[in-house]
Amino acid sequence: MPKITIDNKAYAFEGQPKLLQFCLDHGVELPHFCYHPALSVPANCRQCLVEVGMPVRDRETGEIARNDDGEPIIRWGPKMTTSCSVDMADGMAVRTHRSSELVEQAQKDNLEFLLINHPLDCPICDQAGHCPLQNQTYKYGPEGSRFEFRKVQKPKKVVLGPRVMLDGERCINCTRCTRFTDEVSKSHQLTIIERGVKNYPMTPPGEVFDDPYSMNVIDICPVGALTSIDFRFRARIWEMSSAPSITVTNARGANCSYWVRDNLVLRITPRANPHINDYWLPDEDRATYPRFNEQRPDGPRIRGDEGLQPADWETAYARASELLGAADGSNILFLGSPYATVEDNYLLCKLAAALGASPPAYIPHIEPGAGDGWLITDDKTPNAEGCRRLGVHPVDPALVRARLEAGEIAALYALEDDPVASGLFQREEIQDIPVVLHTYHTTNETLAAADVALPAAMVVETVGSYVSEDGHAQRVWPAKAIRGVNRTLRMEMGVSRLDSHGTPFDRWHNAANQVHCKPSWEMLPNIARGLGLEWADASPKEIMREIAQHIGAFEGATYENMGSSGVRLTEIGTLA
Amino acid sequence: MEMALFGDNGSGKTDAWRSYERVLLPPVRDLHRFDTYVGHGGYEALRAVLTREEWTPGKVIEATKASGLRGRGGAGFPTGLKWSFMPPVEPGKPRYIACNGDESEPGTFKDRQLMEYNPHLVFEGILIAAWAMQIDATYLYVRGEYADWIRHMESELAMLYDKGYAGKRILGTDFSSDIVIHKGAGAYICGEETSLLESVEGKRAYPRIKPPFPAQKGLWGCPTTVNNVETLACAPLIINRGAEWFAGVGAEKHPGPVLYGISGHVERPGVYEYPTGMLITDLIEKVAGGVRGGKKLKAIVPGGASVPVLRADMIEGVTMDAESLREAGSMMGTAGMLVMDEDTDMVKFLRRVTRFYHHESCGQCTPCREGTGWIENLVTRIDEGQGTLRDLDILLELCDQMEGRTVCALADAAAWPVRNTIQRFREEFEAKCRQSIYAVA
Repeated sequence: MPKITIDNKAYAFEGQPKLLQFCLDHGVELPHFCYHPALSVPANCRQCLVEVGMPVRDRETGEIARNDDGEPIIRWGPKMTTSCSVDMADGMAVRTHRSSELVEQAQKDNLEFLLINHPLDCPICDQAGHCPLQNQTYKYGPEGSRFEFRKVQKPKKVVLGPRVMLDGERCINCTRCTRFTDEVSKSHQLTIIERGVKNYPMTPPGEVFDDPYSMNVIDICPVGALTSIDFRFRARIWEMSSAPSITVTNARGANCSYWVRDNLVLRITPRANPHINDYWLPDEDRATYPRFNEQRPDGPRIRGDEGLQPADWETAYARASELLGAADGSNILFLGSPYATVEDNYLLCKLAAALGASPPAYIPHIEPGAGDGWLITDDKTPNAEGCRRLGVHPVDPALVRARLEAGEIAALYALEDDPVASGLFQREEIQDIPVVLHTYHTTNETLAAADVALPAAMVVETVGSYVSEDGHAQRVWPAKAIRGVNRTLRMEMGVSRLDSHGTPFDRWHNAANQVHCKPSWEMLPNIARGLGLEWADASPKEIMREIAQHIGAFEGATYENMGSSGVRLTEIGTLA
Repeated sequence: MEMALFGDNGSGKTDAWRSYERVLLPPVRDLHRFDTYVGHGGYEALRAVLTREEWTPGKVIEATKASGLRGRGGAGFPTGLKWSFMPPVEPGKPRYIACNGDESEPGTFKDRQLMEYNPHLVFEGILIAAWAMQIDATYLYVRGEYADWIRHMESELAMLYDKGYAGKRILGTDFSSDIVIHKGAGAYICGEETSLLESVEGKRAYPRIKPPFPAQKGLWGCPTTVNNVETLACAPLIINRGAEWFAGVGAEKHPGPVLYGISGHVERPGVYEYPTGMLITDLIEKVAGGVRGGKKLKAIVPGGASVPVLRADMIEGVTMDAESLREAGSMMGTAGMLVMDEDTDMVKFLRRVTRFYHHESCGQCTPCREGTGWIENLVTRIDEGQGTLRDLDILLELCDQMEGRTVCALADAAAWPVRNTIQRFREEFEAKCRQSIYAVA
């Protein structure tokens, strides 16, 4: 296997990787700005310079010449080279700043250059705290600057499009954004204009940067030049915490991080997953974060003489069990949900089976033509595929209507969806159903008919798994705390009892904005026990292990296997 | 034959240059017209390479190598060798020449003369090179400011197509090759060979990283050779008069006729065609009529603003060819010579040069984008009497920080004049500085 020596340490490599990527993959950190693994290599920031040399070979024999110690004699290149653009070769020797003063000085020199026209307005810049320029300046930069002149002035607060704002002065011209629109989203909506030190990215005349993936340029911008119009000045990065998760706006299952402060989700950023979304996230996935904060319920409610009244959880469970138990099992309609996790739908299936009802069905939410063949799908729910694999199929509205008219629906259990708003029932029709039990995320139209309303935890508050349109099963972690104690959720958040004495910015410490709800996998066993069934409380991890063991379509889909990037399930058609 | 005069000692140190007969810009009236050009033996070299069996493409390249022709665009790379870098012809993969007529360095204005007075020599050279490398199309990239000559060349080119000298089946042979005149939009960086390619492709003219070199991946990823206008104009001469003749003109290692663009404080500035290897003193005193107003010479820049400046006491016996100029501490560049008399303020000179590079840096690479502006700031401050000695040290350090650390050579071109002007005229700079508040080591 070919070998390369970096700072006198030998590494074996395969193929022909670029030197910078190889270094980053092997724990040899090198400062860089313009290089991004998913984009072409322009080598324009000149920050990743290293010394590169090749062994001297004997002209006649082709043998590598060696010194008295048997070490190969290296002929070093006349100039430093950008490691991002170097193709590795057998025998190559590299000196980084760890073993070369020249490289160390070059890094300092380059950062000094980068900063002379950079406004250094970190205290008011959204990028501060997670800024590659800031971080690498602290680590590799010079002590100060010798620049004593007026900085170049460029346009600031430029609205490039509906979601992205430009501060031209902060830009260091790495061209990541223009390369993204040229090479990844292919909208070609950004280009560099002006020349030399006046350069900055801009849309062509008359063009609006409304690329459906426009906000990715904010993530890859190594400085605060491109900021989110929605998020700018909303929160400091060090006051927030983030949790790995997936987006629930569509069925692609794109990996993301939910950023939370004071138990409010403030933004959604992509999380790299080569199997699904690489480094990217569509704008529509990011725009929906207010749904986790607004119109959230405040505890369970039971219908009394004066409408829905607040109740405690035990009372609500008991009432739900009582109403379900009173109905004939075959006349109960269970509606699963493609918004709910695999675990929640699975427990609902179990409950339906135990009561002798037909298996749950789900209400599909498809917008034909909305998909783009990449990260946006026609299906606007995250888990329709997971439902199908559980045997929960799209509901047949005609059949439901026929049963309703025949008076065969004595009770409805609607899980985490809105049957009225989605048109399965008219507002008046649902009033005819004697018993309506509803677990829900946000205030909705079905609530008006509910007899027991149980607020359910959303993707940002629960643990569970979802299956993407193409069969990729992934689990999520809770990003923010809900009211009340759930040991499983706490463990998944990495919160111990000691953490209760955290700082005011820790999400678990702050009781503000904690939604009064529970995950469905906690509610359903309680209702089942009320019906006399012997159900133990089980964590989603245990439930999923059970599913993976018993349902062929989920073979191998344990939390251990899913890890943080998910597991590809077998095609249903190919199952024995 | 008079030309033999130059073959003997390979240098222009004698007075033999006085009997030199111009070949790039012969004194023929209306030579820029197709009929006149053909009437004076034009396109015979093209006809020869296309119709005579001995002129296989390989033989043309051999002849170019043997002639010793070196690129006239500034770097002085051997042209025949460059042509031989083109990979073998691959069916379905077009091959290109990009002919560089984007001259825009201060002090350089010789391609313009060719395009104005002898454009057909350029076309003929292009077509001979096209035959040598089996080229499908040539993009003649001309600086946009040369609008009049672009118009003229376009109409002459149309005539070439009409008469069958370009395009399909040239001169009735099986060889086809197109020429396209591409107008630049006025950026110095477009003269850098790879950013010229980007510009032809319709992109922003950012230089490309090398490797891959244009011969491997040039225009639209296809094999491409980039040559200067004057370089290609030499090709018909080599075919017509032979490689030996060419190699015998002027300096031994840097032979051939060359266009000297002499500007600045001389009596008769202009473009002069003479062999390489002329004594700089001859060029100033005898060709350009001496320093203006009988003043004393102070400094010259031999080949365009980017090459190091030479003090008057450094040019004794120095000839205009790569070897002699390297020994003297400068470079041949484009042979666009800037002459400065004793009254010249070298700080002002440097201020103007640094302003040019600040204005023309494309802004792709950090050191050049930021460094050129900083340097101009510092030199301006010194020129205005506000600088300190420390500023001079910073200037030299900035040169270190820029040189060899960028994609293309513009940063080097911007740093060399700074380094050399300060080193060679340090007293003038120090005299303009304020008393330093810093200790000077």
